[in-house]
Amino acid sequence: MDFSPIVPALPSLWEGMLLTLKLLAFSVIGGVALGTVLALARLSSNKVLSLLAGFYVNYFRSIPLLLVITWFYFVVPFIIGWITGTNQPIGAFTSCLVAFMMFEAAYYCEIVRAGIQAISRGQVNAAYALGMTYGQTMRLIILPQAFRKMTPLLLQQSIILFQDTSLVYAVGLMDFLNSARSQGDITGNLHEFLLFAGLIYFIISFGASTLVKRLQKRLTV
Amino acid sequence: MIAIENVSKWYGDFQVLTDCTTAVQKGEVVVVCGPSGSGKSTLIKCVNGLEPFQSGKILIDGTSVGDAKTDLPKLRSRVGMVFQHFELFPHLSIINNLTLAQVQVLGRSVEGARQKGLALLERVGLSAHATKFPGQLSGGQQQRVAIARALAMDPIAMLFDEPTSALDPEMINEVLDVMVELAHEGMTMMVVTHEMGFARKVADRVIFMDRGAIVEDAKKDDFFGSPRSERAQAFLSKILSH
Repeated sequence: MDFSPIVPALPSLWEGMLLTLKLLAFSVIGGVALGTVLALARLSSNKVLSLLAGFYVNYFRSIPLLLVITWFYFVVPFIIGWITGTNQPIGAFTSCLVAFMMFEAAYYCEIVRAGIQAISRGQVNAAYALGMTYGQTMRLIILPQAFRKMTPLLLQQSIILFQDTSLVYAVGLMDFLNSARSQGDITGNLHEFLLFAGLIYFIISFGASTLVKRLQKRLTV
Repeated sequence: MIAIENVSKWYGDFQVLTDCTTAVQKGEVVVVCGPSGSGKSTLIKCVNGLEPFQSGKILIDGTSVGDAKTDLPKLRSRVGMVFQHFELFPHLSIINNLTLAQVQVLGRSVEGARQKGLALLERVGLSAHATKFPGQLSGGQQQRVAIARALAMDPIAMLFDEPTSALDPEMINEVLDVMVELAHEGMTMMVVTHEMGFARKVADRVIFMDRGAIVEDAKKDDFFGSPRSERAQAFLSKILSH
């Protein structure tokens, strides 16, 4: 075992980590936003809307993420090209981002839905009684309370997403794991690089998870 | 001001309101009482459209509540409502509870809404608590804030849905005092309550409901003097005996 080649490779590993974090950040923001819209649709009194959202969630929760990533890698450029009318290649990063957003939205949706349902009907009535519209009631009264309650769950799901971003290896994106792997190949110390990558994933995920648990305790007190 | 005409409501096959007809005139205080499950809370929630009803008509200041064309949010913004469990917004400070709808619904300026909110807090004796959060206040204080929140919208009428039922006994009077004062100022009020002392003091009329129907609708003195229906007599003797 020789861990010394890792030191000169740190800059390119850092590049990979930046890509991982960028992918994570955009996916969380997009996924939570889309998930919230889906949750509102699922809870809507409009049966068609609710059924469509339910189908979306059940569909994405029933297929493997790896499939979505590879599938979107081929389909998303085609769709975007069709919308914009150009043939510009959009790159693996964008298609992965879209895949993660849409896949994770299904999971975030269920968390947001439970969060909304945990707020009492009386709060909705109180907002309505003051003359607020449905949109104002959700935006100003229900969602702020729901998000406060479900922050730990959303973060926990995002930690899983952080680990899942490594699946972009399948379409050749240079995330942290993939750059560790390629650096290992170049230097011939693949085992050491993979061990190192595992350690970093563990430290970040476990550390974040511990922080979330502490936050959860503080919120429930 | 409020006209309720032949209102009936069903939950599936179960009829919760049967042909209810009554009215609240401008400046009148009407107390609605009756055993639990008699439909009184449901009826008052129908008045501002929080509960839908299948037949009959409710008019507020000439506007039909059940009409699909009615701008319900706008209508509700003119009718204040106070709930059994206060329903203050726990993520907002007291003053923000009072200003939010003024700004968002009525389009008042933030500063104007704040002045109005502070004046109303003063009126219910809670100026010192403006920056606190609902969870830091006692039940009685929260309910007084809830009344102030409703008044901040300058309502043409106020609906109270069992405003003191969730309170500890020693806090009931501080809330009733605010309501009595409001009644004396000429506010139009419809109040679902078991507080017969309040009814005796300020009500113009008392409505007694049982099993979803209005059994008795009488002037206060007539109601307490000699209720006509046996069920109202039995109810009164039960809650006035202790």
